[in-house]
Amino acid sequence: MGEEAWQLSNPFLGVAAIVATFLLFYLVGYISNRKSKSVTDLYVAGASVGPFTNGLAMASTYMSLATFLGITALILQLQVPFIMLWIQLILAIPLITIIYGTSLRRMGAFSPTHFVRERYGISASIIAALFMILVSIMYALGQMIGIALAFETVLGIPYLTGLIVGGLIIVGYITIGGMAGASNNAAIQMVIIALMFIIPLGAIMKAIGGSGWFFPPLLYADMVPAMLEAMPNFFDYQYSTKWYVSLIALTIGSLGLPHLAMRIYTASSLRSARSAMVWFAFVIGLVFSATYAMGFVGVYATETQGITISQADADKLTIILNLVYNPEWVSALVIAAAISAGLSTLSGNLLAIGALLSQDIITTLKPNIPERKRVRLGYAAIFMGGVVSILLAINPPAFLVVSILWAFGLAGVTIAPLILVGVWWKEANRFGAMASSLVGGALYIIVSPFVFPGIVMTGHSVTDGMGLSGAMLAIPISFILLIVVSYITNRMPMFQARLSTKADHELIERIHGWKEVNPARYNSTVGAAITVVFFTAIAIWAAMPWNM
Amino acid sequence: MNAYKKEVRFTVIMSALFLAAGNVGLFFSIFPVEGMLFGFPIMYIVPILSGWFGIFVLTLIASRMGNRIDEEIEEASELETLERKQKGA
Repeated sequence: MGEEAWQLSNPFLGVAAIVATFLLFYLVGYISNRKSKSVTDLYVAGASVGPFTNGLAMASTYMSLATFLGITALILQLQVPFIMLWIQLILAIPLITIIYGTSLRRMGAFSPTHFVRERYGISASIIAALFMILVSIMYALGQMIGIALAFETVLGIPYLTGLIVGGLIIVGYITIGGMAGASNNAAIQMVIIALMFIIPLGAIMKAIGGSGWFFPPLLYADMVPAMLEAMPNFFDYQYSTKWYVSLIALTIGSLGLPHLAMRIYTASSLRSARSAMVWFAFVIGLVFSATYAMGFVGVYATETQGITISQADADKLTIILNLVYNPEWVSALVIAAAISAGLSTLSGNLLAIGALLSQDIITTLKPNIPERKRVRLGYAAIFMGGVVSILLAINPPAFLVVSILWAFGLAGVTIAPLILVGVWWKEANRFGAMASSLVGGALYIIVSPFVFPGIVMTGHSVTDGMGLSGAMLAIPISFILLIVVSYITNRMPMFQARLSTKADHELIERIHGWKEVNPARYNSTVGAAITVVFFTAIAIWAAMPWNM
Repeated sequence: MNAYKKEVRFTVIMSALFLAAGNVGLFFSIFPVEGMLFGFPIMYIVPILSGWFGIFVLTLIASRMGNRIDEEIEEASELETLERKQKGA
């Protein structure tokens, strides 16, 4: 089978599947919203939603188009190392829950910027909000590329036309208030996405002779001998230990993502949030394992079945496998599910941009601005965020996952240290926070290949593009600056008047569940010193040659 | 052990265990292992299983322990407030 243009021969099937999926989500959103008595009720829908539904909603919020299209493309490109990279992304919600989610919930903060404002003051929160807007735009960019590819495949139109048509339809849909954030919708979406991914995968495995088609996520061992024969290095780790250490930067990055911590807040209680974390781990483990299987099957098909997939089509691997091995209507459903996965994440990203700009920046700077004007600004920000991500997607990075993982790294550099240290160390202050996110963020952007292609750390395009090497250097620097600058400025009399030390100490005790302030708690200088020494070692290691 | 120390120790140890379970590939990159398990190379399937079921089991443990520590902090906090009031009186 030669190289070809992969598209549905009957575009109406694809359009019908997309319209039907949109209608279903809209209907569920409408019914869920009708039950809500007030805006607050709608927002904290978790009050009436059990941990299972919330766990599914967490998984749906976290999963994006990357799960459908991006991961498999990079398994095709990098093989097993990329699977190792993706595995640890499951840690996001469990680590958020145990490290700071429950504390933020006690505080009543529903977003990381809210916490940063209470903990470090207005200036630090505006800096954090600006970085979060950039994080959300880069995250949205990955979704936009995937949506353009999906429309390209459905309608058989060029990428650019797919991008503009698909992008504007979806941005318009989100701006006028589609996908109103009901947890029920996210949960149902998760079930549909999982089914439309795993069942067609089983059919593909059956078609190429796999005997474990009835449980695709784990039962494909019978294909391993043929894979080893056709591609002996598929299972090789390829890279040094340093590369695998740099993956932890993504884990830290996921702790700073704007839209994840919110799901802990929407749970009805701390107990319920913890139970939701358990369901999240089970469901996301299932879906992630299925994507590794899809990637494996994709490589298997290209190596043993004569399917040729050009570099430009790598992101379409999942759709291509369906087009080759499944009936067209199945491919149409898979594309519709992929678009809806992108839609839910894109909606989260764009709504976050709207909230960050209207609430965290404009309202903070101009508190007297009329409510109506603020709402309008929010809508304008949502739309503009969408348009910017469409414009960036005109000349996209080679793989859609690259921009998403780069966004993880930026969140890890600019937001995560502020939250992690801020929750667990009373001495962290606003000067440390601002130095940390400004210097760390600037460093991360400078060494990324998107701004100055000549200043990169490894020269390995995917490693630099995904932000792995940049984050391994910039995250430690952010932690070090936050701790050292806070420690020094706390001891300089000239800064005392501008610090809110007493209020900070009370806040930290309260979010951990204490009513009284005890100076011995959450105040360890030894712990801070160990953190600085550890991260200094990591930063030096990151700055040394990578030899890739 | 008081509730505060328990909370800190729980968070540090649990975070380390989660990171270890999610990054088994890192350990294999330092100590490579030959051989097959369930028909897959060990260095492929163990990180996947640990990244799913290992994390799942840890969330069960973390959920139970987190709830228990919350209760202990609540009790200790009440006691602390009571002691302060008595001292103040």
